[in-house]
Amino acid sequence: MWKMLHRRMKRIGIGPTPSTRGAGGRNTGGMTKPFPSLAAAGVPADLTERRTGAAVLRILLETLAMVGAATLAGLVIAPRWGTLAVDMLYLPPVLAAATLFGLRPALLAAVASALAYNFFFTEPIHTFRISRPDDLLTVAILFLVGVVTSQLAARMRAQARAASDHAARNATIAGFARQLLSSSSEEDIGRVATRELAALFQCNAVLVAGTGTPQILAMAPRTSQLTPSDLAAAAFVLESGEPAGRGAARIDPADWLFLPVKSASLVLAAVGLARDDGALPVAPGQEALLANLTDQIALALERARLEAETRGLAGLRERDRLRGALLSSVGHDLRTPLTAIIASASELRPEAPGDRALVQTIAAEASKLERYISNLLDMARVEAGAVRLKVEAVDLVDAVSAALRDLHHLLDGHAVEVALPADLPLVRADPSLLHHCLINLLDNAGRHSGAGAPIRISGRTDGGGVALAIEDSGRGLPDGATPFEAFERIEGSDQTGGAGLGLAIVKAFAEAMGVEPTAGQGASGGAAFTLHFPAALMIEPADSADAG
Amino acid sequence: MPGNAPKILVVDDEPQIRTLLRATLVRGGYRVVEAGSAREALNARAIDRPDLVLLDLGLPDRDGLELVQALKGDDNLRVIVVSARDQTEQKVAALDLGADDYVTKPFDTEELLARVRATLRQRLASEAEQQQVEAGDLTIDLSRRTVERAGAEVHLTPKEWIVLAELAKQPGRVLTHTHLLRAAWGPAHEGQTEYLRVVVRALRQKVEPVPSEPKLILNEPGVGYRLIVPKD
Repeated sequence: MWKMLHRRMKRIGIGPTPSTRGAGGRNTGGMTKPFPSLAAAGVPADLTERRTGAAVLRILLETLAMVGAATLAGLVIAPRWGTLAVDMLYLPPVLAAATLFGLRPALLAAVASALAYNFFFTEPIHTFRISRPDDLLTVAILFLVGVVTSQLAARMRAQARAASDHAARNATIAGFARQLLSSSSEEDIGRVATRELAALFQCNAVLVAGTGTPQILAMAPRTSQLTPSDLAAAAFVLESGEPAGRGAARIDPADWLFLPVKSASLVLAAVGLARDDGALPVAPGQEALLANLTDQIALALERARLEAETRGLAGLRERDRLRGALLSSVGHDLRTPLTAIIASASELRPEAPGDRALVQTIAAEASKLERYISNLLDMARVEAGAVRLKVEAVDLVDAVSAALRDLHHLLDGHAVEVALPADLPLVRADPSLLHHCLINLLDNAGRHSGAGAPIRISGRTDGGGVALAIEDSGRGLPDGATPFEAFERIEGSDQTGGAGLGLAIVKAFAEAMGVEPTAGQGASGGAAFTLHFPAALMIEPADSADAG
Repeated sequence: MPGNAPKILVVDDEPQIRTLLRATLVRGGYRVVEAGSAREALNARAIDRPDLVLLDLGLPDRDGLELVQALKGDDNLRVIVVSARDQTEQKVAALDLGADDYVTKPFDTEELLARVRATLRQRLASEAEQQQVEAGDLTIDLSRRTVERAGAEVHLTPKEWIVLAELAKQPGRVLTHTHLLRAAWGPAHEGQTEYLRVVVRALRQKVEPVPSEPKLILNEPGVGYRLIVPKD
């Protein structure tokens, strides 16, 4: 009987089930565990309602055999202990039939037991007549036991089946999630998801994504077809996040049913299911499972996207670091030969006037190159966040005269007018950064003013702060020009002009110090670049300096 | 080459820079010894007994700042530091450790020679205890504590005098902000750069022909001041 019981339980899905699919493909390899298909475990057909003829016959025979066995036992013990205990012998067959086979076999067993008891053990023996009321009671009790027991057993069986269904569904979802976990790209996820869905629901599956026209990420089997109305349903799902297509409320003419694959905030993709025979893709009762599986796809897709983003960020950071390292290494390597060239050119004393001009050109161009390299190095420092401020009180007279001294070769031909009032307040600034700002602004002014044309440097108190302006006598800035932004717009590309880089450094260094750089029109019509030191950076004239 | 011309030790790991400096210095009338590393430099200092060292701070085998101290020693050897443009803090540190001056790469050879001359002259001057310094139309008398501009006496406040006198004691040499602040205000005010700025500005009003375009008292951004003695 236990063997029988075990066999039955196997049939209704309790206990170990053989795997219906082999261990997975290329990238699922070692991780894959036997993964029950729906047909084996997920949603079993109702076994108690659909029995084949052979099974019914076997149940009938088994029931009658148990009753027969009880009768035989009764015949053995009745001559020795009397018939009083014999009615009890019929309880086990009724209980067993009720427990194992359900209500009708139990009633059958009760009837058969009552008849057998009546026939073999009640007076008059070997007739079906019942003469004593207590025998009637025995038959009635056997019936009652059969009914009650079979009801109880049926309920237990239903509970066991529900539990096993639940476990099987969880196993299905877990297996699905495990498969998805081993895929890292959208394509892999699509391939695995469609393959598994197609196998689980015995249908065609597709995963689509994208805005506008849906892009097919994966399809199983590959030969499946999507009609325009299917694509319309897919597009609708991607846009609205609501199911559409066959069997859904929207776009019913489609052959496929599309369900949204959603994260918390957006629709990542849509899953499509269809059957070749045109039946509904998802049987009633399977919607919850499918919803659960699409949630798993959503998790996997989101994870893949985050991973890709992280990889992208790490790559970007690494590239920035490499670029900075390369710039600084190239810069330093270029500087030494340039130093030698510049100094050598200044050592040459050619006699012929033509040669003198050539030597001057060598020196001037090498100096220009050196300034350009310095700017590149400065920019690399800014981009690497390696600019450290060392702020002190600065007299703009000092700052301007030092910058003019450094650039005297370049500005030789120009009339430089310096208008810095004697009472111009001191400012707080990093002297090195300010020096580089001024050199770049003066370099820029020199380049945009014709030979010998004046450059004007002026300082004034301005709205509570201090403004230092450098005006050239060029043609001025074109309307709407944003010279400080020129470099920013093409940041990271190779198309940076020397001027753009210099002004970008002015902006970066000035802003690092809390100074606002602006560009505009000068009084004489040329361009005017102004550094605005806000009141917070201004040092009020102190009278304590000369004390003591 | 005269046997008594000052001897200069050039310390740089780049041979082309050494070659160039040798050419420049020989033109300036100096004798030249070269060293390509800190070890060679210390050997050369002991064997060749130079008067001045041109020291590149970026040596492969030893920190340049350490070498400044090692080279200075206790005799009167002068050290001019050669450093890259963007290493202001390193320059200041070298000066604080006893370096006499610095030049910035890429350098102008005329400027380099002027620095070398100025540094060697200070050495002679300090030996002779020079009492009178001329800068432009200024005459600074260190013993009488007077300043004359084109023959007329210039009245200075005590702080102005201390700052100008410090600069005049070592004409042409850069003195760090810290050095000047300590001399005029004491160690407690080393960080008060604004005091120094205010005094220098007042000083320029009194001694510079065009105060907003100084030619005598020049600032090296982030480093310090030097008094220019035009007659090099």
